Amino acid sequence: MSQASTSRIGWASVTPALLWTLVFFVVPFVAMAVMSLTQKEGGFSLAAYAQFFQNPSYWRALVNSLEVTLIVTALSVILAYPFAWILAFIVPERWQRLALMLAVLPFWTSYVVRSYSWLLVLAEKGVVNSTLVNLGLLSEPVQIANTRAATVIGFVHFFVMLLTLTIFANLKQLSPNYRKAATDLGASGFQTFIHVILPLTLPGIMVGAFLTFVLAIGDYITPQILGGNNELLMPQLIMMQIGRRGDFASASALSLILMAVVTLAYLACARWLKIERA
Amino acid sequence: MTRVLAILYALLLYGFIFLPVAVLVLFSFQGTLFPIPPFNGPSLRWYAAVLGDARLTSGLANSIVVALVTSAIATLLGFLSAWGFARFHLPASAVLRGLITLPLTVSYLIIGMGLLIFFNWIGIPKSLLAAGIGHVVINLPLCFAIIYSQMGDHQATIERAARDLGASELKVLVLVTAPMMWPALFASFFLSMTFSWDEFVISFLLTRFETTLPVEIWNLLRAGLNPKTNAVGALVFGISIILAIIFELVAFRKRPQ
Amino acid sequence: MTINRLTRRLFGASVAAMALMGSYAAASAADLNALVWCDHSDPNLLKPFEDATGIKVNVKEFEGTGAGLAIVEQSQPGDWDVMVIDTVDVRRGVERNLFDALPEDQLPVAEIFPEVLMDQHSKFDGKRYGITEKFGYNTIGFNKSKVEAADMETLGVLTNDKYKGRIAIYDYYLPVMGLAAMAIGKKTSELTEADLPAIKEVLQKMKANAKALTDVVASQTALATGEADILIGGGEWVTAGIAKENPDLDFSIPKEGAVLWSQSLAMFKDSKNKDNALKFIQYIMSPEGQARLATSSCYWGMPASKAAALDADQKKILRFDEQPEFLKRAQGYPAPSEDLDKKMQDLWTAMIQGQ
Repeated sequence: MSQASTSRIGWASVTPALLWTLVFFVVPFVAMAVMSLTQKEGGFSLAAYAQFFQNPSYWRALVNSLEVTLIVTALSVILAYPFAWILAFIVPERWQRLALMLAVLPFWTSYVVRSYSWLLVLAEKGVVNSTLVNLGLLSEPVQIANTRAATVIGFVHFFVMLLTLTIFANLKQLSPNYRKAATDLGASGFQTFIHVILPLTLPGIMVGAFLTFVLAIGDYITPQILGGNNELLMPQLIMMQIGRRGDFASASALSLILMAVVTLAYLACARWLKIERA
Repeated sequence: MTRVLAILYALLLYGFIFLPVAVLVLFSFQGTLFPIPPFNGPSLRWYAAVLGDARLTSGLANSIVVALVTSAIATLLGFLSAWGFARFHLPASAVLRGLITLPLTVSYLIIGMGLLIFFNWIGIPKSLLAAGIGHVVINLPLCFAIIYSQMGDHQATIERAARDLGASELKVLVLVTAPMMWPALFASFFLSMTFSWDEFVISFLLTRFETTLPVEIWNLLRAGLNPKTNAVGALVFGISIILAIIFELVAFRKRPQ
Repeated sequence: MTINRLTRRLFGASVAAMALMGSYAAASAADLNALVWCDHSDPNLLKPFEDATGIKVNVKEFEGTGAGLAIVEQSQPGDWDVMVIDTVDVRRGVERNLFDALPEDQLPVAEIFPEVLMDQHSKFDGKRYGITEKFGYNTIGFNKSKVEAADMETLGVLTNDKYKGRIAIYDYYLPVMGLAAMAIGKKTSELTEADLPAIKEVLQKMKANAKALTDVVASQTALATGEADILIGGGEWVTAGIAKENPDLDFSIPKEGAVLWSQSLAMFKDSKNKDNALKFIQYIMSPEGQARLATSSCYWGMPASKAAALDADQKKILRFDEQPEFLKRAQGYPAPSEDLDKKMQDLWTAMIQGQ
């Protein structure tokens, strides 16, 4: 086969995917950028951006979003790592598949419904409060539903599962020798963990953490259902621009600002996020 | 001691993970109007209400069609491009691979907004088709990344052998490469289905009358408080588990050991 | 099955399904496309009409006139046939040249409560562009067993520290800012930018006492589940639908008054199915349509027509007979200019963010 025809086949196989990405991702992105700079009556304007930087309640949405997302990411990693460790090394090999399946199972219901069921669980007359009050562990119900805590719980619920999966996969890829070293060394096991295992699983953690960050910071449903509108996060502010005002310039500008933040996060962990062939 | 602690921790986390779903399912059998304690059941009235709701059942059908079709397209495009990049020395390969995976780093909300504005400009009406295009955009990079990461050099050797025996490039791709890549293809398709099935914001922004189940559930949530939402959730849960078992069986049988 | 056959099948299925999805998009030429609020999506309301006429009603829900008009602007002319819109906003559609005049002689105008017909907002150059179909009040909704009735008779409850942490606020800026304005003695119809700082003060105090800002359903949930005892901006639209389950839920019209909401139906000028559109409007305005709309699953409200076929229980829950007294005290929805509207929304956002 000639060199020319080889590369023709190569191009033919990659072109559909490239075209799709170009037409339905890059071009819309440019359209959105143009839209964010357009006034309602037409003509160039920076008003949509000016609004964000001048209006403290818009700023606040970004700060809220960052706070919530960072808390969620940190909490999820902290909760998921030991869980993945237990699943990978303490649960017997032949039960691991089942254990993982079980951990994923509850996420097979629609995610809109999942947030809603957290609301039922956390409500003042919900399951948690009424059980604790009936058992005498609480004298009166605690207010969790309709607060930032509820939003965080709803997010962490999902991302613990996601991170457990990625960290589990990573731990399983470690050479058994490391594991042996870690378990055999007993008292100094913790040091082995810090100096050997943790650095080796760091790429997996970073991939999971980054995914968590991207998915959480762009999610509308969870804060909208659980947060009780006691504060606004960026996606809520963006949807408000469309839903209440039909203000696409502003929604586009806010989306781009959100995306810039995600890009910064990406650059921060870029060296762990390379997709390589086996 | 460590073992006991470990088991305790795992049980606690399982409890946390299962809590909302257990409550959801329990109160889907609620007999009265409010899905909160005390439990007055069991009753199937809300299941009957769900099955009698044409919008929900058509949303379910739409979701299944969209998930199947968009996942098939995303897997196909992902497979072709992964193979192309893995087997041929294309100029600027790294940049182009980066381009394909780029949507992974962008929130669904932003992808949906972009498509909304773009379709609006070129006059494509809101529809399931529009939402489906969006679903391929979010799943294609995922499929590409999964399949590309599994394209090893030993497979290239087998492909070369097939080629030397006179197989055309297309035959090699379909008869040799695809079967070897089955686990990766399957994983891509399955993951895509999961993401498409659960995707809300793109469908919300890009559909009009006919829409997917998550959007219909959202509408339901906004149209009055009752355990009907629980019943839909429980039904979706049930269907998903059955699908998962089927896929699990299929995957096991096909997986070369 | 071999892989290539599988691939081919999958591909075939994709093409077929894509075509199917395309046809969904193209369908609905002879149907009725309605841009509505959630109370119009109730099958109990739509099905009798569809069965009787064979017209399929496609509904798309939206919230807020701004968003509704944006949807219309993004669509092709002729995509939409009828629209539900705040009566005070009919003008905005007329100014954009979107609506067609309605034939008054074919509609039961005489049966409508005159106070909610609001000709100044719906009639231009002697032609009617919107007909009121449903109305009610944004006022104080509450749980009788948990609050003192006397406190509910004044708008002072908006900022009453006694109920700190027991209050939910309906998350829609226009009516609640209207209430806040009335609480400090301003008229909703005369609001200007100069009033905003004073309103802001009320809103901030209100937010400090509130537990959550809630949409329609979350409002019902909050009252019904005891999450909150008072709903600012609530009214029959939140309490009536769940009154059977919890008879303690009620609403009051305080001495300062309440905000009257009123929704109208309008027909699009570019509609390709004007006959169907008129049939639909006639159905909604008929005694049966009015009763079904008034008791729709999303929210209840007063039927605009006195002839609505409601039973005695339903009338009692809606406090049908007290309407003349209520209407006397009520003030209209604020109808700000687009510029003031934006400022009001920004103020609302600032309140949510605690600023």
